[in-house]
Amino acid sequence: MAADAPQRRGPSVRSTRGLDWFVFFLADVQTGFGPFVAVYLTTEKWTQVEIGLILSVSGLTSLLGQVPGGALVDWARSERLVAGLAVAMIGVSALAYAVWPIFPVVLCAALLHAVSSCVLGPAIAAISLGLVGRSVISQRLGRNARFASIGAGVAAAVMGTFGYLLSSRAVFLVTVALAIPTVLALACIRADDINPDRAHGAIPRTDDKGPSTTSIAVLARNRPLLEFALVVMLFQFANAAMLPLVGSFMTTQSATWAPALIATCMIVPQIVVAAMSPWVGRRAQSWGRRPLLLIAMGALVFRGMLFAFVRDPYLLVIIQVLDGMSAAVLSVLIPLVVVDVTYGSGHFNLAQGFVGTATGLGASVSMVFAGYLSDRFGNEIAFLSLTASAATAFAVVLLMMPETRPQTTHAQE
Amino acid sequence: MKPLPIAVISAFAFPRSDKEGFVGAKRSDIGVILAAILLVTLPQVVPATDNPKPESPPAAAEPSVTVIDGAAVRGILGRTVQGADGKDMGRIVDIMVDPAGQARAAIIDFGGFLGVGSRKIAVSWNALHFAGAVKNRDDIKLEATRDQLKTAPEYREGNPVVVIGSTGALEPLDFPPATTPEK
Repeated sequence: MAADAPQRRGPSVRSTRGLDWFVFFLADVQTGFGPFVAVYLTTEKWTQVEIGLILSVSGLTSLLGQVPGGALVDWARSERLVAGLAVAMIGVSALAYAVWPIFPVVLCAALLHAVSSCVLGPAIAAISLGLVGRSVISQRLGRNARFASIGAGVAAAVMGTFGYLLSSRAVFLVTVALAIPTVLALACIRADDINPDRAHGAIPRTDDKGPSTTSIAVLARNRPLLEFALVVMLFQFANAAMLPLVGSFMTTQSATWAPALIATCMIVPQIVVAAMSPWVGRRAQSWGRRPLLLIAMGALVFRGMLFAFVRDPYLLVIIQVLDGMSAAVLSVLIPLVVVDVTYGSGHFNLAQGFVGTATGLGASVSMVFAGYLSDRFGNEIAFLSLTASAATAFAVVLLMMPETRPQTTHAQE
Repeated sequence: MKPLPIAVISAFAFPRSDKEGFVGAKRSDIGVILAAILLVTLPQVVPATDNPKPESPPAAAEPSVTVIDGAAVRGILGRTVQGADGKDMGRIVDIMVDPAGQARAAIIDFGGFLGVGSRKIAVSWNALHFAGAVKNRDDIKLEATRDQLKTAPEYREGNPVVVIGSTGALEPLDFPPATTPEK
């Protein structure tokens, strides 16, 4: 841990606190664009076709924009500037939703938001890496996951209250307002605490540019990266449809309690992530990455099997603890493993975008696949098929993925 | 595409008086709502038709204009629906009409939390009461409870539409009808 201390003192407290709050408020802002969009546009008398179109366009954009977004962050010299502009664009987008909900405006706002989000994911990881360096990045990522999880939970509660008491439009005005503390928190991070080379996963002291001329070609030959992308894709393919399937099952079982139960099913994993992710960050260093990945995949396999057979709605809520375990591990380990396998290339963020695309792809196919299976063959078959995908992910980690934790001489690599 | 066959929902399929404003518009192909909105906005359109441009052909007859008091009709898309027990049942997202333009069912987005676990369910037009919603901006009232709706299958375009009636029973809207209760 003291390995790169001689070259550089740790980041100032002001910067680390700034990053904490930036992650927290950004999660708040992003929550406003989640489920509230469909509700709001419905109250604005939009038809389901139009709402579906907006959601598809924005989903597709955030899928295709991941790699260019990562490349942009790699290319930029100031992650703070890029992130600040992206937050400002999201604020403008929320304002557009609130003020003028007509189709062309909302379409542009949705595109603006999707593009900005593609930049922000890599930007946070890049700022973290640039701030603390590789040796303690796992702890930092654990801290990020905790603040993001608390932020999303608090925001959902606040926005839900506003939406219930005032209107769905108020949710977007709150989102606009929350963009302001987000930018202020970002401004608290000192620019000279962020080492731009480290933020891009380049080795700070090198003079020659190394392999920075080619980009995707280099990543495509990076076997551990491809294997890891496959793992997260299989994971998301298994994971994304589980909660929606459980939700529709609950609605058919107990209509009175379903909304409260589904809400609890969404909150429980958030609490687990907030509690567990710093621990994951420390263990990733002491145990290594593979044991934690096996825990995450194993928890998903277990959850899928339980969902296939458990009928009691209260037990279903408890099973969601497993969701939180998987989510805590992955929210720390996705950026961490990408750091591991690309460090020194200078294309850390591009690689993040690549893995982000794999995640998004798995998630979007998951919904279609599970929805179809559930309609045709029932929930058990749907859950067991998802579980099979999770088991495949487990096997890939067990049999193919190398341990990516750097050796103790990482500073000299 | 073959128009959706009509089923006999019940003997009380005739519109009540508080819905005459919608049904009387005779533009219901595109949905009752559009007709209502059109009628409400017509007063602004009327001045434009008062001075027709010279090139407009005289063959077309003047369209008949009905002006309805703005407080007597109201759009209902996106409005919340309240169940018989006062519980929130979701929002109206679509309205199903038969070939005669008669509204037969409303699609409500039912249950779930923030979009997770919600389903689109067709409820009988006759089980919905709009009086409070139109006059006082209250919720639309539905003569059914959440528990009566929970087993209803999801509405999907192209599939037979299963409509929940006021008794809470499921009524398929798609069996081949020989008779339609037309006036």
